[in-house]
Amino acid sequence: MNQPLLEVENLRFRFRGQEQDVVQDVSFRLGRNETLCIVGESGCGKSVTALALMGLLPQDSVQFGAGRIRFDGETFAPGDHDRIAKMRGDRMAMIFQEPMTSLNPAFRIGDQIAEAVERHRNCGHAAARARALEMLGKVGIPAPEQRFDAYPHQLSGGMRQRVMIAMALANDPELLIADEPTTALDVTVQAQILELIAELQAETGMGTIMITHDLGVVAEIATNVAVMYAGQVVEYGSARSIFENPQHPYTIGLMASVPSLTGPRRRLSTVPGVVPAIGQMPEGCRFSSRCPFAAPVCAARPDLAEQDPGHRVACHFAPLEQTLERSA
Amino acid sequence: MTDLILKADGLKKHFQVGGGFMAETKTVRAVDGVSIEVRRGETFAIVGESGCGKSTLARLLMRLLEPTEGAIEFDGRDIAGIRGRDLRELRRDMQFVFQDPFSSLNPRMSVGKLVGEPIETHRPELSRTQRRQEVARLLRTVGLRPEHADRYPHEFSGGQRQRIGIARALASNPRLVIGDEPVSALDVSVQAQVVNLLHDLKSKLDMTLVIIAHDLAVIRHMSDRVAVMYLGQVVESGPTDEIFAAPRHPYTLALLSAIPEPVHGRERTRIALSGETPSPASPPSGCRFHTRCPFAREDCATRVPELRVAANETRVACHYWEEIAATRPKAGLTPAAARSEGAQRRFALYEAATLRQTDRPETASNAGATT
Ligand SMILES: Nc1ncnc2c1ncn2[C@@H]1O[C@H](COP(=O)(O)OP(=O)(O)OP(=O)(O)O)[C@@H](O)[C@H]1O
Ligand SMILES: Nc1ncnc2c1ncn2[C@@H]1O[C@H](COP(=O)(O)OP(=O)(O)O)[C@@H](O)[C@H]1O
Ligand code: SF4
Ligand code: SF4
Ligand SMILES: [Mg+2]
Ligand SMILES: [Mg+2]
Repeated sequence: MNQPLLEVENLRFRFRGQEQDVVQDVSFRLGRNETLCIVGESGCGKSVTALALMGLLPQDSVQFGAGRIRFDGETFAPGDHDRIAKMRGDRMAMIFQEPMTSLNPAFRIGDQIAEAVERHRNCGHAAARARALEMLGKVGIPAPEQRFDAYPHQLSGGMRQRVMIAMALANDPELLIADEPTTALDVTVQAQILELIAELQAETGMGTIMITHDLGVVAEIATNVAVMYAGQVVEYGSARSIFENPQHPYTIGLMASVPSLTGPRRRLSTVPGVVPAIGQMPEGCRFSSRCPFAAPVCAARPDLAEQDPGHRVACHFAPLEQTLERSA
Repeated sequence: MTDLILKADGLKKHFQVGGGFMAETKTVRAVDGVSIEVRRGETFAIVGESGCGKSTLARLLMRLLEPTEGAIEFDGRDIAGIRGRDLRELRRDMQFVFQDPFSSLNPRMSVGKLVGEPIETHRPELSRTQRRQEVARLLRTVGLRPEHADRYPHEFSGGQRQRIGIARALASNPRLVIGDEPVSALDVSVQAQVVNLLHDLKSKLDMTLVIIAHDLAVIRHMSDRVAVMYLGQVVESGPTDEIFAAPRHPYTLALLSAIPEPVHGRERTRIALSGETPSPASPPSGCRFHTRCPFAREDCATRVPELRVAANETRVACHYWEEIAATRPKAGLTPAAARSEGAQRRFALYEAATLRQTDRPETASNAGATT
């Protein structure tokens, strides 16, 4: 079988002083040219998972458990910051919801991209500048020569997002991690940005991890989906199987909460309650404090077990219709 | 008697900005000639992208801002220029729910105070005990518990804070509530809780609701009629079902086609818009949408389209909507593909089980309470 670009096995960590893991036994794999979407409510650990992969968590306060990351055939421990730092910005890159996370307000955008190129490539200043110009054009910035000298605040939100993407992709990374890159944008601009990422992916063959809480975005771009709840992957599978055959009560609750654009309007289902804070997560199945099917057995943690080929679900009662309809 | 509760006619709000040393003053045409009619008892929605003037319009309707031009009638009375006592009375009848549950509540006030304050202002005849009872009743109405009155905003989740904001808005027994993105900051699961709550309150309390949002799925779910705004103006308005089934204005078409839907493998034709919304300080000439409209013709840059009747109470501000519609017989969205049979049974089970849970309205889980 084709070797995947990225394999994450049992990633687990907590922050110093916390009594529970923020992220617990998260595993997934990503192939070249594929998009893995990590979806879940806010506070479910999506961003910290991404930051851990990029080696961007505060080193002095994060405590990793076992677990390993294999990137392009090389295996390393999640806490191996030095090794990860060498790849960051070069072989793997990240973009954020808020572009100013990566952009410096005091520098011209063109120079910032050129600098990112020079840092990782053995090329002269002129070549870096040329690459920056090329990238600005690629991400659809009109009149790149003129915009090269603009400061971030002189651009609109959508344009800044494009500049951040240009900077992230300037060194042709093999892996792009995008943390809610379109959440703050209008839908028409979001459509442009998603299309841009897809085009660049098709061109370079990079693997993309897209973090989002929007199931619509997931349906649009995902190859595979990991549904995360309270630091755990509760369901994992191909986009098709997740949308056509969702299994986990949390996935079902999320999908049922989304108002539909077509068909009859009916009362929305909800996921009662909220994501518990770290330290207050129930033992066993962490969803049990909100799950309408919770039973005593849920005090033990369910395995992320395969239901259909490639489709894994962490619920004692999966498939629900077979285990529950009889008793209902 | 008219069935209109709120009516705006040619409403404008222009802001003067800049004008410091050597700087040129610019006029930001945030709202630039909006006419809408809200019927008693309906949910009226205003939708559009960032900066199109939704919040400014809401503030005008509430008289939190004074219009530059135009008329506003509430219950048949002109309110565009009222002050003092009349304005206070208006504040009682018309209330506001804000987007951001984190900054719209004073962190130093207990929930009891936050909800009690508008009662004190608008119903001074109530005694202290009656007021406390009223606070308890309002908290229950929005799915919180009376003992929450002693706590402070930071102790609550986003959804709960939005419930507090709603309780505050209901305290004066308003006839109209305007919500400016009341659910936009919430996760979908919690958003659904608040959407359901607003729906229940509206029918229980016999209110009219004006909802502002950029999320079209939320709008479709909640509203009876909708107005689509672009750059300070209404470009299309009418019954929600009609607009979603047969959008006519190119901007509405583009907006609808841009929404990613949570359905796998749906084929759809996207109407891509080039560029971004121009600044309301220098709106394009003619049809304001012409710089981004994929159907624009030469004269769109010079001729201003009027909002004119299209069909079934729908109005459209486009010179060429008829011709565009003729070339696009299926502009509306097609129904979602079916889920697997097993999945459908799972959804039914889930719905039944959560209903059993939330039928007890004061359970912690229903209120989104963490404790
Ligand atoms: N007090 C003000 N002074 C100057 N300009 C203003 C003022 N208030 C709003 N504007 C401008 O008016 C336009 C419309 O703003 P408004 O807040 O009404 O938009 P909106 O549709 O609510 O956007 P969003 O979806 O981002 O909330 C924007 O260009 C905004 O910058
Ligand atoms: N540096 C940190 N120290 C302690 N807790 C943190 C830190 N960063 C994030 N967290 C906590 O980790 C949890 C997951 O956060 P996050 O990954 O940002 O969620 P998401 O991206 O899914 O919304 C939250 O409870 C958050 O408060
Ligand atoms: S294991 Fe139990 S609590 Fe967890 S999702 Fe399944 S039924 Fe719900
Ligand atoms: S009037 Fe012209 S530019 Fe405006 S929406 Fe219609 S076709 Fe497009
Ligand atoms: Mg996040
Ligand atoms: Mg607004």
